Amino acid sequence: MARMKFICDAERCIECNGCATACKNEHEVPWGVNRRRLVTVNDGVPGERSISVACMHCKDAPCMAVCPVDCFYRTEDQIVLHDKDLCIGCGYCFYACPFGAPQFPQAGAFGLRGKMDKCTFCAGGPEENNSPEEFRKYGRNRIAEGKLPACAEMCSTKALLAGDAPVITAIYKTRVQARGKGEHIWGWAMAYQGSDKLSDQPGGKS
Amino acid sequence: MRPAVLMAAALVLAACHEIPQDAPKSYAGKADDKAYASDLFKGDKGKFEAALAARAQKQNEYLRVAEEKHK
Repeated sequence: MARMKFICDAERCIECNGCATACKNEHEVPWGVNRRRLVTVNDGVPGERSISVACMHCKDAPCMAVCPVDCFYRTEDQIVLHDKDLCIGCGYCFYACPFGAPQFPQAGAFGLRGKMDKCTFCAGGPEENNSPEEFRKYGRNRIAEGKLPACAEMCSTKALLAGDAPVITAIYKTRVQARGKGEHIWGWAMAYQGSDKLSDQPGGKS
Repeated sequence: MRPAVLMAAALVLAACHEIPQDAPKSYAGKADDKAYASDLFKGDKGKFEAALAARAQKQNEYLRVAEEKHK
């Protein structure tokens, strides 16, 4: 039984937003709903890091624990999905989620909220696999087609990895062992040789 | 006196136990099809998992570079 997870390699992410764009395009996600987004720490400063964030399909999912209508379920591959026909758009899951994954379409005036929408790990929802109804409510079901999430497969630097946890952690481990660790693997020195000190890089602070 | 103290203590401590909050919650929605129940895999779980594992390795460019060198 697989345990589907995402890993975002902060050393590789170049904040291109390709993952967010791929997700939007793949599932025709409506305006104002962002199933995946980029978070950058220390933006503009040498040593900045970006990571791509979406639903992390938690093993002990807080959204699932707080949902008053029990609309969440976990697939055989440990992907956390929900039934939109049952969701009442209360927003409890949004407050419970540490990643800000649940999104709510703004339907009309007075701040009305629609039903919750979130990353499905490209696994659709509780409708017939690859049916028009499933696409309309949850987006495309790539997992049923034997494919991995579009965001990870589209990632140009392969910073975002998706798949069975032992498989992607092995890929990540190989990568880290090959490149080493520390500040010398980032930026100028890595790309063009030269000094590996952050303070020697253009714009670096001593 | 003693029974009264015991009763008071029982009342005071009545709220001190922990209610389990991690009890498995039931799912109240519609049942979902298995991912491998589609026409592509026809219920073959092994074939489905093999397809996903092979697909995951396409994210490993160290393997891809090695394959290119051997061509």
